[in-house]
Amino acid sequence: MESLKILYLYPDILELYGDYGNIQVLKYRLEKRNFICTIDRYSIGDDAPNFQDYDIVFAGGGADNEQSILATDLIKYKENIKLAVKSGTFFLLICGAYQLFGKYYKDSNGNTTPGLEIFPYYTASNPDKKKRCIGNIVIEATLNEKKTKVIGFENHGGQTFDVFSPFGNVLCGNGNKFGDKYEGFFLDNVIATYLHGPLLSKNPDVADYIIKYCLERKYNREFKLQDLNDEFENLCRKQLLDKFLNK
Amino acid sequence: MINYLTIFFIKILNIILKLFGKNGGNILGKMALKFNKNIFSHFKVNCPVIAVTATNGKTSTNNCIKYTLSNAGFKVVSNVEGNNMDTGILSTLLKNCTISGKIKADFLCFEVDESYVPIIFKSFRLDALIVLNFFRDQLDRNGEVETLILKIYDFLKTYNGNLILNNDDPNVSRLGKANPNNKKVYYFSVEKYKYATETMKEAGEGKFCPFCKTKLVYEYYQYSHIGKFKCPNCGYGDNKIYKYAYNINLEKRCFDVDGITYSIPGNNIYTIYNHLAVLAVCSLYNIDTEIVLKSFKDFSLNNGRSEEMLIKNCKSIINLAKNPTGANVSIRMLNENETKKDMLFVLNDNLADGKDVSWIWDINFDKLNNVDRIVTSGTRAYDIAIRIKTAGFDENKIFPFLDMESALEKLYETSNIKYIIANYTALQPTRAALKKFNN
Ligand SMILES: [Zn+2]
Repeated sequence: MESLKILYLYPDILELYGDYGNIQVLKYRLEKRNFICTIDRYSIGDDAPNFQDYDIVFAGGGADNEQSILATDLIKYKENIKLAVKSGTFFLLICGAYQLFGKYYKDSNGNTTPGLEIFPYYTASNPDKKKRCIGNIVIEATLNEKKTKVIGFENHGGQTFDVFSPFGNVLCGNGNKFGDKYEGFFLDNVIATYLHGPLLSKNPDVADYIIKYCLERKYNREFKLQDLNDEFENLCRKQLLDKFLNK
Repeated sequence: MINYLTIFFIKILNIILKLFGKNGGNILGKMALKFNKNIFSHFKVNCPVIAVTATNGKTSTNNCIKYTLSNAGFKVVSNVEGNNMDTGILSTLLKNCTISGKIKADFLCFEVDESYVPIIFKSFRLDALIVLNFFRDQLDRNGEVETLILKIYDFLKTYNGNLILNNDDPNVSRLGKANPNNKKVYYFSVEKYKYATETMKEAGEGKFCPFCKTKLVYEYYQYSHIGKFKCPNCGYGDNKIYKYAYNINLEKRCFDVDGITYSIPGNNIYTIYNHLAVLAVCSLYNIDTEIVLKSFKDFSLNNGRSEEMLIKNCKSIINLAKNPTGANVSIRMLNENETKKDMLFVLNDNLADGKDVSWIWDINFDKLNNVDRIVTSGTRAYDIAIRIKTAGFDENKIFPFLDMESALEKLYETSNIKYIIANYTALQPTRAALKKFNN
């Protein structure tokens, strides 16, 4: 039986906005199709993981003050992570993790925390700390040449600049910056985004894109994913797209 | 002069509102603050002022204090309806003061929103502050819980009154160190209960020592991050306990403190914490034990806090859950009951609920105990249905309905016990709909 291995980074720190739900959705959609899904966790103090051993690496958003603690830890694996990205391991990075993978993060006092420098964007906090991009957001992404609307909730003070390849066009909400046209960062094997929700819970197309990509990469053949009963997801999407886009 | 005029005007306004059958809510306070932003310092209070703050359990605890003190024969002024921001508390004061700002009462007791503790009590005397817990709550509205705690910590640096703290919440008991000169810090703690776990079962906050950032070590978790913890590095967590509850018996709904058995109407662990806090207050103000015993036995809020209703001859237990911990303790209650049951989860995303519903992924829906069917409703009925499905509950036994009437019809198709969980703005409409459905 085919299987996928997920590495869940800092589950005890990056766990603020229910982002773990993304892993639960991946596991659910894999197991419903009789694939095996294993989840390994890594946090500060654990043995060093080999990122290239994994099909999917996941990290979410956390509290601001705790994020800097882990930045110094994660940077130890910079080279290993770079190799994994290059070799095609899928990276799903939400919010704080999205920022960490960039060049740096500049806070409101002008202090700069270095990022992993895996991707060329950078993030600067808004000078007015009280102003954050908060609210429902819908973007349009193109996955395997198919357009799909992606629904989520954004809550970030950081404004991300120099994204050469965004995840999607903003249909409602802010995106990478206040009132931006674009949201997130995308490569075939990377989705980095501010969308909570959790992201995959309301966007089965995105979840299945990741699953298909990972299976095909690992087994080097085409996979046609079996349809699942997405009745609730479809009802939810219809309701929310009506509500958010027609206001 | 301006103060007299303000109070005079507000009093007249209150009479007018009453004539139109309105309760006023926060309006009186809002108006008064507009006239005079220093109005809080104008009141003349000669009795003890008690405040309860927490993420969860403020209303129940405050009402229980008011009930017990009233039973002891005292005149108590309190914001029992739960208007717990500056404007709500101000409204309560204005309704109960003389034209010169004097408040005739034996006790003032308030529930206070966490973020308003420093704001209100910087210019209003406070004699006892009770802090029950801090959990993540509506992050899009309130921000991170740490910010909130630090504000209260700062306020407490110069506070010298009674401070009654839950020793089992690392985010609460740390407040006892804010002012080393305050000798009136009292901790309460609850003995490990039957369903306590060795690992954290539900999302929680208490992971790192607030003083040295070392990972805290827990002996057990009662629920969420509430439990017996200690910092292996600096020893934080060891406090002298003022009131300790033991022999926790949820079936018989009772617990012991200082050799006396207290019975309460609720059968869940967090209610015991709330009552223990009340008990600590009563002990500090020398309330007769007999009166406390009787008050605890009789007190019930019947306002969607573990409220039991009989709907179409079905026992129905309705509980408010405005954040993950609120929901998780409701799920705990349901799992601790072995009988076959149905669940209704009503989830709204109105402004007061927080627009972000991703907190439902912090609710532990794994391995629900003998739950037959789940109905969901509210403005985000589908979101919660997806959540529950993903946790492994049979999707053919989940029934989402945006409208409440259809949801209730589905729910009461069977005679199973009903556990009903509703978030903030969903609670009262759900209660009203249940009553209507029953008739
Ligand atoms: Zn410590």
